[in-house]
Amino acid sequence: MKTKIIENIVKILIPLIQVFGIYVILFGHISPGGGFAGGSILGSSIILFRFVYGSEHTDKKYPYKYLMRTVSIALIMYGSLKGMLFILDHFGIDKIIPVGVPNTFLSGGSIIPLNIMIGLVVTITFYFIAILFEEGELEYEHASE
Amino acid sequence: MTLFNVILIAIMIIGAIASVMVKNILSSVIIFMVYSLMMAIVWQQLNAPDMAITEASVGAGVTTILFVLALRKMRMIKK
Repeated sequence: MKTKIIENIVKILIPLIQVFGIYVILFGHISPGGGFAGGSILGSSIILFRFVYGSEHTDKKYPYKYLMRTVSIALIMYGSLKGMLFILDHFGIDKIIPVGVPNTFLSGGSIIPLNIMIGLVVTITFYFIAILFEEGELEYEHASE
Repeated sequence: MTLFNVILIAIMIIGAIASVMVKNILSSVIIFMVYSLMMAIVWQQLNAPDMAITEASVGAGVTTILFVLALRKMRMIKK
């Protein structure tokens, strides 16, 4: 079911949803929210885009190859950063990363990059789960060329 | 406990029973979404806004999308 009305409304609505999701991710350390909540909001916006505009158009806009690369790099960086923080905390030198001014955007030390990586991983994982439910496979023939 | 909380919890109890009793499965999924939204407002009333955002985005958004997709896959509703 694909009409002009739905396409135009979604064209207006999706940037607002994505801005709200990015806000929830970036301000997760001083306001409610965080990586998981913001990532699920972003993921549902991409799922909405795929349902309205069809799978071929979405595969051109968000190619499978780059999404998989992004989620892998984000997972590796999250694991290495969090593991490094645990090891540094064991030796008592975890004050290398500056804490920042409380109640401003640059506070909380390493929480902002960790939240951004969790957000990326959750976004792409929810998108992939929805594709698997809908179509049964992740990669198409026209996407793999 | 204020009147607002009583109304919320009454809607939640009615929704929880109705989502099991209703024959049509699509109606059941939508009633479950209403239950989840009321649960998000109850989390906010209990001073847990972080939990409320997660419940609203996961319980009412992604879970409903996955349920509807599963129904479409089983050909219980039209495309």
